[in-house]
Order: sequence, then structure tokens, then C-alpha cells
Amino acid sequence: MGKYFLGVDIGSLTTKVVLLNEAGEIAARATGRSGYGGRDVARRLTAGLLDEKGLAGSDVAVTVATGYGRITYPADREMSEITCQARGIAHLFPGARTVIDIGGQDSKVIRLLPGGKVADFAMNDKCAAGTGRFLEVMAGALEVPLEEIGDLSLQAGNQCDISSFCTVFAESEVISHVSAGAPKADILAGVCNSVAARVASMSSRTGLEPEIVFTGGVARNSGVAASLAKQLGCGLKIPEDPVITAALGAALFARGLA
Amino acid sequence: MSQKRSYRPLDSTRDLKRTITRYYTLTRFHRYWGRPLGRPLAWVTSGAPVELLRAFKIHPVYPEQYGAICSTGKVTAELCQAAEALGYSQDLCTYATSSIGSLTRTDIAPMKGLPRPDLLVACNNICGTVLKWYEALARHFRVPLLVLDTPYLPGEITPQAREYVVEQFKDMTSSLEKITGRRFNEGELRRVMGLSDEVTTLWREIREYCRAKPSPLNGTDLFIHMAPIVVLRGTQQGVDYYRKLKREVGQRVREGKAALENEKIRLVWDNIAIWPKLFGFFKMFTERGACFVTDTYTGGWAMEIRDGDPLESLAATYTEVFLNRSPDFRARQLIQFIRDYSADGFVMHSNRSCKPYSLVQEVIRRKVMRETGVPGLVVEADMADPRAYAEEPIRNRVQAYLEALGA
Amino acid sequence: MTDIINPTGNEQLELLLEESSLRGARRAERYPGKKFFGYFCSYWPEEAVLAAGLEPLRLLPGPGNATPAELPAYCCSLARGVLSAATGGSLRDLAGVGFAHTCDTMQCLGGIWEELQGRDKTVTLVPPVMLKGQAAFSYYKKEMTGCLNRLGEISGKSPGVDDLRKAVNLCGQARLLAAEVDRLRPQLPSQLVSSILRAGQIMPKEDYIETLKAALPALNQMAKDPGDRQGLLVSGAVLENDSLFRMIEELGGRVVADDTCTGYRHYAGPVEMDPEAPLDTIVRRYTEMPPCPCRHRELEERAGYLGGLARERKARGAVVVIRKYCDPHAWDAVPLAAGLSSLGIRTLVLELEGADAGGPERTRLQAFIESLG
Repeated sequence: MGKYFLGVDIGSLTTKVVLLNEAGEIAARATGRSGYGGRDVARRLTAGLLDEKGLAGSDVAVTVATGYGRITYPADREMSEITCQARGIAHLFPGARTVIDIGGQDSKVIRLLPGGKVADFAMNDKCAAGTGRFLEVMAGALEVPLEEIGDLSLQAGNQCDISSFCTVFAESEVISHVSAGAPKADILAGVCNSVAARVASMSSRTGLEPEIVFTGGVARNSGVAASLAKQLGCGLKIPEDPVITAALGAALFARGLA
Repeated sequence: MSQKRSYRPLDSTRDLKRTITRYYTLTRFHRYWGRPLGRPLAWVTSGAPVELLRAFKIHPVYPEQYGAICSTGKVTAELCQAAEALGYSQDLCTYATSSIGSLTRTDIAPMKGLPRPDLLVACNNICGTVLKWYEALARHFRVPLLVLDTPYLPGEITPQAREYVVEQFKDMTSSLEKITGRRFNEGELRRVMGLSDEVTTLWREIREYCRAKPSPLNGTDLFIHMAPIVVLRGTQQGVDYYRKLKREVGQRVREGKAALENEKIRLVWDNIAIWPKLFGFFKMFTERGACFVTDTYTGGWAMEIRDGDPLESLAATYTEVFLNRSPDFRARQLIQFIRDYSADGFVMHSNRSCKPYSLVQEVIRRKVMRETGVPGLVVEADMADPRAYAEEPIRNRVQAYLEALGA
Repeated sequence: MTDIINPTGNEQLELLLEESSLRGARRAERYPGKKFFGYFCSYWPEEAVLAAGLEPLRLLPGPGNATPAELPAYCCSLARGVLSAATGGSLRDLAGVGFAHTCDTMQCLGGIWEELQGRDKTVTLVPPVMLKGQAAFSYYKKEMTGCLNRLGEISGKSPGVDDLRKAVNLCGQARLLAAEVDRLRPQLPSQLVSSILRAGQIMPKEDYIETLKAALPALNQMAKDPGDRQGLLVSGAVLENDSLFRMIEELGGRVVADDTCTGYRHYAGPVEMDPEAPLDTIVRRYTEMPPCPCRHRELEERAGYLGGLARERKARGAVVVIRKYCDPHAWDAVPLAAGLSSLGIRTLVLELEGADAGGPERTRLQAFIESLG
């Protein structure tokens, strides 16, 4: 019987796997681009982790899958990423009462009960505004690497206004700003601000209670983080690795199932 | 593109500002005079039978006009976000959602929001949304909500629809007696209806001046100078203002003065204005000599108030509103405008906020083009929300359309 | 074909499920003697259609995202889908189509229909929005009479009092049977019940009644204790397939109370007939059925009704479905969520493009059901 617990989070853009040991500590973790077949990516990442630790598949006692690809992944159980995210964050930040998660295609605000149970949540409409995908499209339009837009946006002098709620319209707004000669930093500040505004507005549907933890791939974007903190009027905690927290939650659930 | 101003301002604009400022000052300070004078304040829809309310000395306030004020004041997006945060969908009417947002965001709302109503009066002759919107307001303010249900007319008004609306008018009359503590006075209602008729007749005559070539007014003039027809129907101030405006516009026609320096193309507008981009949008037309000589929206207020029993007359007037009628009726109206005003084309604003106005536009457009041979352009936007306005795609379409018209 | 398991192998049940998934597509071949008349909303009086010798057929959009040129993108997929089917010619066999005026979109679609499909084949009935009061009743009755006359013109058979009585009786039978299925709901798979109820809006009325009667014993046999499934109330407009109900079931939920327009709301309401005044019976029934957000009786009527329903069926949570661009339900969702929450019923507002629930909905529903546990 294995002594390890695996959490697999197959997201729209990135796949993450977290392996816990018997004590519930992170033994290994890995991330990769989901691409066309997130399931295969998850298998490959898992195989790599086990290899690295000198473990065999049979050493994994329980696997819990989450994220978009969870349904078809051969796990012992699949759970929604909202429940897993809540669990992962509560583990890292026992005092957390609100989680703001901005991922590739989704953004979510989750209100937590002590212990990490979900009290309420809100998610974005079926539209890319307010998600990582929005940032990716705008980064593409401005020819700036996605990882750099946050820091660059913080150098803005005069933030441009991006008002459209439609990604396609917003892209045309960005192009208008470009043709009007606005500096990239100013446009990017507008872009980051627009994502933050969208999520800030969503957060009032669930209510905000400190501590607030900001997680998901976009939490690495310093521009969005700064704008979000400003709009919410309070500080945000960001996990050291904000990408893997839902996978961590899934692994914790796996350990609980054993 | 000329640097010169291609657009002639109206002297009456000064009076307009004075008239509207006075109305909103009275509105804002209603709490000081309303109660002592026994004159409750009602929030009403644009198609509500204001004559009856005025006969009961009620001060009407128009959240739809306020929606336009918020929009030209550039706060609609933020107000809508406040409503979206409460769970209202961003696909709903932005007059309604910005109004709901203004209840909590008094920090950014113009005039810190409209003053609290004593009652709410909605009439569904313009849409079904007003009912849901006013229900939300009734929950918020916990004040009486009076609804006038004017059945949609697929054809002409039916005897049962007329009778049903008249019966509701009678019910509303007794509700208003209770709410205001005043007795219904038919003489007073007739007097107010007389003033209303005078205002709408003046407005109709002013609009008809634009049949002249070149037109003395452009679409933006109509949109701006319609403000009193919305809020001051049934009042002497309304009559006074439109008499002045009529004199000035009549003078322009006699002197052959045009709204546009160089009128080359005459167009008809369909739907509510794009308030957040009013001047920017119309400038694309004026700079190419295209003038909007008339429109279906501000024309909606040029209704005739019939003679006869006042409640029956009001029932017919408010049920026969153009938005309560079939695409066939609306197409015939547009065709008539194109003919009467010698228009070269028409522009339809496909307004995300207003489904009853917009969803039927394509069949109307085809029918009008078939019958008149005049081309129609559709631009998608929103009457109040700048977030639904796509600058470049709209500019491209407008430009191509005007080029095709030979501008 | 249906994808709902019918472990009893009951033939009648199989037929109901099949009809439901066909959505009327093979009506001509299956019911060659019948003339169908299409309609959209639960406010359309099926009794009037039957009395005129026609069969009511609920018009539902097919799969896929239809974009007919006559409607903008910001219009609901119900209107877009059915209009697209009509312009494609697949509704040509219908005797006509009826519009009960409900929302702005239906008002517009009715007008567009007249323009494209012809005035002679389009019937509009405008029920009162404010359902209370004598004026509304007598207006409604006259509208209903006008509607009956138009249907008589279309079918060539002017409906008499006997025809009306027979039609009311027939609809009453269908409603009573539907009520029986609805009572069994907590013990039956959610998608099975929604499918059976939808079939009743598609099949010829007598065939439906006969088939459902014959299938009831099998349903009773299938009924079993739901175990630890989370009981949910679902409210919303039209759902043309069982995707959402199936997903709820897959995620460990059970629809124990239903207020969708194509679900039990279509059948709910009084069934007693006054044999002397069948027309009054019809008008009263449509006045008193559980109102959709397009109608108004009292400010908190819907929240009160749904709260009562949820409690009676012991629902743990409520799912309020909004079809994208459906204004009345989008408006309704806010006070409904507040009202139900105040009764201790957690509520999820779920926006769907059409009836299909996909990945993003699954995440929301799953998290919601997980959070109820």
C-alpha cells in the first residue's frame, strides 16, 4: 500500500501536480502547459515526479483530480477546483477567509469558513474579461511577454482607460491607444486595472473578509496584484507558488480519503 | 476634415439650461417644499401617464433621463458595476442598472442620486424591463408601486385593451386619491392635458421644420432639446420653452440657415442616442455633411392627445405608443419619415440595452429599404454604457456607409 | 436516441423519452393524421389549440448556436434557434404559431414572425401582466375569445363550448398525470422526470396521456429512496434538453422541486373545471398558475412560492438558471436568491447560453453541491 497522495489540477492553460508524503508535506510538485491533452501532460508530470523521488505508481495511495480536465482523468475522485482551492489556501493560510483566484479562463472569489469549507463563491461570466486569457490577448496585442506586463505596468505615468467588457472590443481599444502613441506601460496599467476592477466587482457579491489571499497564475502579475489591493483597499497575501494551491488542496483531500 | 466648426449652436440652449436646471433644483430640494405643500415625489417611467399624476400635484422624476445624465457625466460604467456587484447581469438595460447602482454609489452619482420617491409609477408601454426595474426600486424604497399595464398592440388598439387600460386608470385614480389625500379633479386633469397637448404639438411643429432643406436642426439638437418634453409635459414651463425654441427654429427656416454648414446628406436616426459618445459619434457624420433631420426616438414624444373623455383619451394615447406596436407599424412610420423629410438614408442604433426597440430593427430595415430604395446602416452600441462601444469598428462602418452615399 | 437508462424496459416510457429527445422532429411520420400548431411559452393556452382541432407543439431550439440574420447576437438562443429553424423551412407543416406576449423578446419575435412567416399563420395573445383584479380577468377573457376565433379561422373549425370542455378536460388529465410524476420526483433520476414532462409539450395530447398512464406503474417501480443525494430546487425558463438535470444527478444532486417553464411550471396550477363556463376555467387557470417573472401579482410572490416549494420538498439548495440575454429571469434572479437565502436555502445563479451545461457550469454546480454537503 502506497504512502503518498497525489493532487492533479488540469487547468485550461496549465497542469499542476502535487505529491504529499504521509505527513502531509509537499514531497514534490510540477507544472506544465496543458496544451491539447492536459491528461497526458498530467501523466507525464506525475511519472517525472515519481521518478525523481524514486517511487513507483503503486506508492501513490490516493489521487484526487481537479480543474477542467478532472472529469476524464483516471483518479480516485474528482472535485471542483473551488473546493480544492479553498482547502489548499486554508492549509497554507489558516486565517484566510477570502480567496481571489484568477486563472487562465476563470476568476473566482471564494469566501471560506474557518477550516477551509466554502461558504460562498462567485465566478466570472462566460467571458474572458477579468481572466488570465484577457491578459494574454492584450500582451499579444502589445508584443510584451506575458510575464513582464505586471512589472512594466507599474512604470506607467498616465494609466490608459480600457472600458470595454468584451475582450475583442478591449483589444481594439488597446490598438486605438497604440495608434494614438500611448506608452506601453500606460496601456498595460489600464489592462491590469481592468482585470482587477472586474474581479473587485465580483468580490462584492460574496463579501470580502480578511485575510484575503490572491492566488492563481495571475497572482504573479505584480500590476494586477497592486491594482487589486488598491481597489479593495486592503492588503493581499500571495502564496509562494500561487499556481499549485488547488492541486495542493486536491492532494490534501486525497490524504483525507485514505 | 475641416478644422472649422461645422455645426451651428442654438440660442435657445441657454433657456434650455435654465429650464432644466430649475426643474432639477426643484427636484433636489423637494424635501423642503414637497411635504409642506402636500406634493409627493414620484419616480416614473418615460411612458407613464404624467398628466394624471400632475393633476394630483405629484412631482414626477424620470430615472430614464437621469440614466442619460449619468451617461453624459461618464459614470454609467461605474454605476453599472455597482449593480453587477449586487448580482444584476451586465446584459440588462443600463438605464435600469445604472439607476440601481446610483442608489448605493451616491458618492459618484450626479446630484448624489435622485431624491427618495414617495411612490413609483411604471407603465409597460415602452418595455417589460420597467416592470422588473420598478419592482426592484419598490423593494429598495418600500413605497407604493403603481403599474399601468398597456397591452402590446400587434395591430390597432382593440376595444378590450382600451377598456382594460381605462379600468386601470380608474383604479390608479383612486389609489392616487389615497396616497395624496387629494380628490380627483377632472377639470384639473383636463387643464394639464391641455398643456401637455400644447407642448407635444409645439414639439411636433418644431420637428416638422426639419423637412426644410437645409434642415435647421441636427439629431444632436433634437436629443438635447427633448429634455423638457420628457420632464415638463403638462406644464406651463414646457409650453414656454418650446414656444421660444419654435420661434428660433422657424426663424432659421425663413432665413435658410442650416444646422450644418454644408448639408449634403439627410439621414433618419432610429433608437435612443448613444449618450456616452453623443458628440464624438455624430461628429463622424457632421464632418462629412451628413445631417440627421429626424428620428424615431424624440418623435415618440410628439404624440397627439385626443379629445373626449380624459381617461379614455389617456388610455389610447399611452397604449398606442410606437414602442408598443408591431414592426410593420414601425416600418411604416420610418418610411413616412424618409418621405416627409426627403432623407437619403437611415441609421439604426442596435442598442443592447433596449430589446423592444432593437430586436426588430433588421426586419424593419429590410422592409424600409425595399419600399424606399434608401440604404440603412446598423451600428451596435449601448445608449448609456461606454463599455459596449467599439470605436474603430463603428468608425469603419460609418465611413464606408457615408462614402457609399457619396459624402 | 435517448441516453436515459430505462431499466424497466417499459415500452411506453421508452416512447416518452424518445419523443422528448426528438422534440417533435418526426411528427409528420409518427402522427400523420394530426395538424400541429406551434407555441413558445407556458402562457400559450393549449386548450384553445385543442378546441380548434389542432395539436399544440412547443417550439424548442435545436442543438448548436443559431445566428439568424434577423436577430442581433444579444438576443436569447431560444428566439434565435427557433427563428432559424423556421426560416430554414422545418416548421412549414405547422398550421400556425402562437405567441403569448410575455417578454420583450417574444414580443419582437412575434412581430418578426408576422413579417417572415405571414400574418395569417401568426396568432398573438396578450395576457395581462398585472394578473390581479376584475379588469384583468375580463380583458383576459376577451383576448382569449379573440385567440379562439383566430385559431378557428386557421383550422377551419370554429370551437364550440363542447370542444372547449373536451379540451379543458384533456389538459386537466395531462396536468394531473404530470403532478403524479412530479410527486415521484425525489425518488426518480432528475433527467428522467424532466424528459417525461417535456414530452407532454411535444406529443399529441391524447397520445401523451395514454402513454404516460401506461408508463406510471413502471415509474412507481423505479422510484427509490434517493439516499444521500442533495435535494435541489431548479427555477428557470425554457430547457430544451436534460443536460443540466443530468449533470446535477451526476454530481450527486437530485432535482426535488422544479419551476422551469418547460418543466413542472408548465403543468402547475388549478385543474378544477366549471363545466358551465369552460372559457372562464381556462382564463382562471392561466391567471392562477405559478407566475413566471414576466407577470406580476405581488412583489414577493415568486420568492414566496418557490420558498414554500423548496421547503415542502426539503430542498437543500436552489439553482436559478438564467438563459443568456433572458431579461425577466436575470432580473428575477437577484430578489429570488435573496429571498431563498433568507429562508436558509443556499442559491446558485447559473447562466447558460442555451440548455447545455458544459465544463464551466460543471465546476460551479459541483462546487455548489460540495458546499452543501
